[in-house]
Amino acid sequence: MEEPLIEAKEVRMKFRLPAERIDNLKEYVIKRFHRRVQYVEYEVLKGVTLEVKRGESLGLIGRNGAGKSTLLRILAGIIEPTSGRVVTRGSMVPLLKLGAGFDMDATGRENVYLNGAMLGFTHREMRDRYENIVAFSELNKFMDTPLKNYSQGMLSRLGFAIAVDVRPDILLIDEILAVGDAPFRKKCAEKLGELKLSGTTFIIVSHSNEQIRRLCEKTIYLKEGAVAESGETERVVARYEEDCKGL
Amino acid sequence: MKKGTKANPLTMRKAAVILGCLVKKNVKTQYRRSALGICWTVLNPLLNMLVMAFVFSRLFGRSGITLDYPVYVLSGNIVFGFMRTATTTAMPGLVGNYDLITKTRTPYFVFPLGQVITSLVNFAFSLVALLTVMIIRIPAGVKFYWSGLLVLFPWLPSMFLFCLGLSLFLSVVYVRFRDIKHIYNVFLTLWMYLTPIFYSVEILHLPDKYALIMKLNPMYHYLLYFRNAISGVLPSWQTTLICYVVGCAAFGVGMLLYKVTKKKLIFYM
Repeated sequence: MEEPLIEAKEVRMKFRLPAERIDNLKEYVIKRFHRRVQYVEYEVLKGVTLEVKRGESLGLIGRNGAGKSTLLRILAGIIEPTSGRVVTRGSMVPLLKLGAGFDMDATGRENVYLNGAMLGFTHREMRDRYENIVAFSELNKFMDTPLKNYSQGMLSRLGFAIAVDVRPDILLIDEILAVGDAPFRKKCAEKLGELKLSGTTFIIVSHSNEQIRRLCEKTIYLKEGAVAESGETERVVARYEEDCKGL
Repeated sequence: MKKGTKANPLTMRKAAVILGCLVKKNVKTQYRRSALGICWTVLNPLLNMLVMAFVFSRLFGRSGITLDYPVYVLSGNIVFGFMRTATTTAMPGLVGNYDLITKTRTPYFVFPLGQVITSLVNFAFSLVALLTVMIIRIPAGVKFYWSGLLVLFPWLPSMFLFCLGLSLFLSVVYVRFRDIKHIYNVFLTLWMYLTPIFYSVEILHLPDKYALIMKLNPMYHYLLYFRNAISGVLPSWQTTLICYVVGCAAFGVGMLLYKVTKKKLIFYM
């Protein structure tokens, strides 16, 4: 049997943070002196276990603060869990925010290369993709304009175009799919469908149950940091919708 | 099938690609909105030197300084300036790239490192200014020692390590304590005056006790080496050793703090 692409076992995440935000030395010393630095512990994830096989996509649903984004960031390797184990195989691109690291003073062209670097691609590798990216974003007229003159929609389009052209084995997506106008959204959905056909595995955090139904075979419903329900998307989403009605 | 790895560790290659992009971007955007553009990196230290040479040649005697005074001031200025820009621009390096650090898998250290390399590039431009002044001052008795340039090559890595170590340290501390910025600025002013940039330690006629304190300042040694090199004197092995020991120690401390706090940093940004 083929090994799963992503395996997470008993992932727990605890934050221990000062009760009030102290971000300067002066306050810290004073509070310390008065013994008033208090810490609060939050347990964001309470032992989550999951497995994703190649070619299979996973949706993460749940209410705000259920730990979906934290789980995604742990799977992406951006933060380390307090305990538990995460194993990933193959290339992975986390898309937690479109155009993270865009430089507003630089032109669109420069930013394509810069953003590519953030995703791990050299200048040469990005040059081969450049034409495709520009064509997809429909921004060819604006590639020599600094990003600060772009509209929000244009920024998202450029970010999305770069992201989907990267073609990783695993794509982690956090609530970024509602970008641009209707025709562009349609184009994005088609692109994602195409990626899925070509074997990309998605892990998607979304509040759009429609999207989850369309793209994911399996879904996990997180409730206060624990898995409330997992398995076939249809069943899990139905359960979540049931829960939401009761509120 | 690739071998399973724990959360895909970042390859050094990726870090290098990001670093290249960052430095290029920094150098380019620095003077983007000015008509003279990149020329400012040369002009800036030059104008600074003029002001300092004008002010301080009258205030302080030039006795004890064998090097031509404008060259003396400028060399002090650009070496100290390298350290100052590196550390002050690298300090907010982690916090300022919050988006990248929390949303992409980018190794944190590339941000302070990128700033230090940018300062190094600027330092190279200021060397052009120094060279210009040296050429202008040839009638006043300035001599060129090409061997001096060779001696500068072993100096550079030690200076770079010192700046990098300090930058890493400051950028990590800045994540937790934002007011360190103001404290460090005051400290920098003090540090600048304690460093023989426009005077020489000898003319102060300090008692031995204070002279010793002056020599505890790492910048004193980096400057001594640099000025020795450009005036054709082979720096003593003690100076060389001090430069390297201090450089490695600073780097060690900075790196250690970074490694120890790395996992927790993200929660304080």
